[in-house]
Formats: sequence, structure tokens, C-alpha cells
Amino acid sequence: MRASVNNTVVVNGLVKNFEVTEKEPGFLGGMKSLVSPQKKTVQALKSISFNVESGELIGFIGPNGAGKTTTLKILSGLLYPTSGFVQVLGFEPWRRDQKFLKQISLVMGQKNQLWWDLPARDTFELNKAIYEIPDTEYRENLSELVKILEVEDLLGTQVRRLSLGQRMRMELIAALLHKPKVLFLDEPTIGLDVLAQQKIRDFIYDYNKKYSATIILTSHNMDDLIDLARRVIIINKGKILFDGKLEDIISKFAKDKIIRVYLDKSVDVKRFSEIGEIRKYNFPLVVISVPREVSAVAAAELLQNFPVRDLTIEEEPVEDIIRRVFKEDYIK
Amino acid sequence: MNVLLKKYFQIFKTSFNQEFAYRLSFVMWRVRNVLQVLVALFLWDTIFSGDRNELFGYDRNKILTYVLGLVFVKAFVLSARSQDVAGEIARGEIINNLLKPVDYFKYWLTRDVSSKVLNLVFAVGEFFLLYLIFKPPFYFQENIFQIFLFSVSICLAIFIYFSILFIVNTIPFWAPELAWGGHFLITVIMVEFLSGIFFPLDILPDKFLNILNFTPFPYLIFFPLQIYLGKISGFSAIKGIFVCVSWVLILLFLMKFVWQKGLKVYQVYGR
Repeated sequence: MRASVNNTVVVNGLVKNFEVTEKEPGFLGGMKSLVSPQKKTVQALKSISFNVESGELIGFIGPNGAGKTTTLKILSGLLYPTSGFVQVLGFEPWRRDQKFLKQISLVMGQKNQLWWDLPARDTFELNKAIYEIPDTEYRENLSELVKILEVEDLLGTQVRRLSLGQRMRMELIAALLHKPKVLFLDEPTIGLDVLAQQKIRDFIYDYNKKYSATIILTSHNMDDLIDLARRVIIINKGKILFDGKLEDIISKFAKDKIIRVYLDKSVDVKRFSEIGEIRKYNFPLVVISVPREVSAVAAAELLQNFPVRDLTIEEEPVEDIIRRVFKEDYIK
Repeated sequence: MNVLLKKYFQIFKTSFNQEFAYRLSFVMWRVRNVLQVLVALFLWDTIFSGDRNELFGYDRNKILTYVLGLVFVKAFVLSARSQDVAGEIARGEIINNLLKPVDYFKYWLTRDVSSKVLNLVFAVGEFFLLYLIFKPPFYFQENIFQIFLFSVSICLAIFIYFSILFIVNTIPFWAPELAWGGHFLITVIMVEFLSGIFFPLDILPDKFLNILNFTPFPYLIFFPLQIYLGKISGFSAIKGIFVCVSWVLILLFLMKFVWQKGLKVYQVYGR
């Protein structure tokens, strides 16, 4: 595959295998694995391919162990690919060329880069020196980031005394001071309360817009992706199940439509099961899912034979579809 | 200021601040050092308190100088931050530093230097305190050439220790659960016993010392102190320096080699 000029990330046929040493429980098991280790190869990524254009905000979604974080670690240069082609900003990430590292940033929700015992400001100053950010640029970037993320008063506070949400915002600042062209975010909202999640999400969205930075994020929090990503890659067990616009998930995977009926008077619920699958019954509301092809017929039938006050036909919610995609993939 | 210099100066400063965040534990660590020196001082002082003038080729002056000299040489050579690297690897925190545009080894060497400076400042204070209270005899080396060789051997010792530490640091790449165990065995037990911290190594049988002289350990503490005391000079000093240089080269090469190997098998633990 040839990389086009616009492609910030090119991944083709990427495979990553891990060697895992099996260990039996207990002390004896530990000794045994030391003497004759039982090695097993785990395929974390089974030949995945995708491109990301400059300025895109794309989300990786998948259950635990799907390969999201592994992909991110390879793209940022932490892991060596077993085979396949990977290029980010024209570099091979695993070489960790300093010119490459100056243009990227990786934020992991569960790994701190801030110095735990020092105020966040100290880490920022250190990053300024390491990334060789000129004084004026540093001051502008910092004051802007600090203002947007509302942490002006916390710069001098020891990092260990910050709340998780405050710390995450500081982590973002530390990662963005050098204005990376590509930003990798691994579970940026993990462990945060709903309000804090929203703050981080809004920030990521605005940042992508304002600086047209390429952002690749992973999450198993559906809201992150529905709110943020225009393009989604669904990954499970090391394989890409879907790569495209969020809206297209519906046309590709949604088999049912949802009919919501508001009744005038109470009806025997069983009668609805002749029309479709009853999802919910809570008088006056009945929610039924019916196959897409027959949704119009079903609606007509409902209007004719039931005391309907109001009726709507809707698409299945995206998170339900994605959840079902994973479930079906597990059964296969 | 040069950009590169600025970079490492900032690393130095931040690391220095970090050490100060643990003021109390640092002070306790220094107290422990002083107590160790006190024990050794009293022990040797008692041994020489009779009419014995010389033991194992040391007179009272020189042996007490050896013990006091330990305070400095240990601060120079053995104070280091880079023993934290093993833990960083085991916990997966190393990723933050691997993805920074800075040489990982130079980063930690700089942090070591900051630790050494801090420890040295305290060592000077402790030295004068001990000196004022106990007024022990102290042998001042006056030969400039000997002092020059002493400085060279200290510099080399710093690099030997740095590379030993980093080689041990790579253990968690393969066995994350051995992060602390490896350090305990190699950098604590081996270094403490074989470098001359507990006693001057030349009180050991010659045969044993001859073998030991081919390992890197005596060159950490014992060898520099022997040069300072003038017990090793001339040709044997030059020969020793040569062995030191060889070890520095071998260990640095080995360090880079296992580090590259380790990074390849590393799976970046912790998710």
C-alpha cells in the first residue's frame, strides 16, 4: 500500500504476537515455570489495516483485550510489530526517532507522567526543556490550556493531592504543551465521574477542531465515541469488525427498528408479541423491536388494531448495536 | 544557555526537587550512613588502642582515613536514583520516558548526578561534624598526581556503578516480579561485600584479592581509596585504571546490548 500525502497513519497487515509464560499457581508452580517455562503465543492483533488522515478524530472501540491498547502502543512506538507495515507521520514508530517523538503524545488513563511528589508545574517545566519549547510559546500554550481546563489554581499543588479528574486534566496539559500533531489517548475518561468525563470530552473535541491535530483514542466507554469520534473502528479479538462513520454502523449492523407506542388504555401485553419482540412495557408506553423490512407493516397493524395515541419508529441505539456486534462475535 | 544543556539542567533540577520532597527519609538515610561510619570508627579505634601500630599494612591514621573517606566515596559513587528504573519497568511507567525526545541513559545519569550532589553536600557536613567531635587522625594526600588518579578512578567508578545498576535494571523486562530481588542480590549484597565498604579488601587472603581484582566491584570503593591513601601508586595504579577503563567499556556495551534485547521482548505491562 502506498501512503498518500494526507495519511498521518498507515497500517497494513499489522500482526502482533505476545509470548506468554504460563504459570501454575503457588510456589511450586512458580519454581516449575522458572525451570521449564511453558510458553504460549497469544495473537493480540491478527493482521489489521487502516489509514488515518491528518486532522481526523477516530475512536477505537472494543471490549477488554480486544487489541485497542496494543494498537496504540505500536502506533506510538512502544511495541515492535511482529509483522506488517506501520507508518506514523512518515516514521516507523518503533525506531522512536526524536523528530517523531517531538510530534506525538500518548496519554494513558492509568499511567502518570506527572511527578507524583511535585507540583504539576514542575513536570510542565521539565517537558518544556525536554521538548525544547521556546519560552514565549510555552507560556502561551500553558496559560491557554490551564484556562480551558480550569486548573489555574492548582498548578502549585503537589500532584498526589489532586483529585483523579484534576490529575487527568494536568496529564493532558503535560501531553499537549509541545503541540503534538498526533495525539494518542488510551481510555482518557477511565475512572472519572460523569461530569469530569464530559469536561475531558469537550476539551478533546475542541482541541481537535482548533489545532486540527490527529487524535486516536481508545475507550470502552460508549459515550466517549458517540460524542467525539466521527469515525469509529470496532475491534475485537485482534480483528477489525467495522471501520467507518458512526452512522454507518446502523445501516450495516442494525437488523431491527424500534417502535414506541403510547396507548390510550391498557391492553393485554401478549397481543404485542404477535407483532414483534417486546422490549419494554410500562403503561402507557410499549417498546417493540421489529425487523427493518416489516417495520412499516407492523406500524400500520398497530395503528389499526390497538388503541394507539402516539407512535414513533426509531433506529436501534448505537451502543445497543455495538454491544450486539460483540456478543455475536463471541458466539461465532 | 545551550538548549541541550538547558534540557539536562532542568532534569537535574526537577530530580533535585523530588529528593527534597522526601526530606525526612533523606535525613534518616544520612543518619544511617553516619551511624555506620561511627561503628567502623570505634571498631578500628579499639583495635589500634593497644600498643599495636600496624595491622594488615594499615596504621591507625590510614585505617581511620579509609573509614572517613568512605563517607565521600560512597556519596560520589553509590548514591544513585537509577535503581528506580527496575520498578518503572515492572510497573510499566517507563513508557512515559521512552516516548520523550531525550536519551534515556543520559536522563538517568543526570538524575544520578543530582542525587550525588545532594548526598555530597551532606557528606561534607557529616565529615566536618565527625571530624570536630572525634578529632580522628586524618591522612591528607599531598601528591598531586595521586589526587589526580583518585579523581579519575572516582569518575570511572561512577560509570561502572551506573552500568551495573542498569544491567540489573533490565531484569524486569523478562521477569517483572524480580525487580527488587535482583537489586537486593546484586547491588546491595555483592556491592556492599565486594567493594570494600565493610572492610578494606586487602585484609583478605592474596589469592582471593587477586581474583576479586578482575571483577568490577573493588573499583567502586576500594581502589579509589587505596589510591588516595597512596597504597596503590605508580605502575600498579596505572594498571588498575586500565582495568577500570576496560570494565567501563565492557559494562557500557553490555548495558546497551541487554537494554535493546529487553526492550524488544518488553510487553509494556499494566494493560
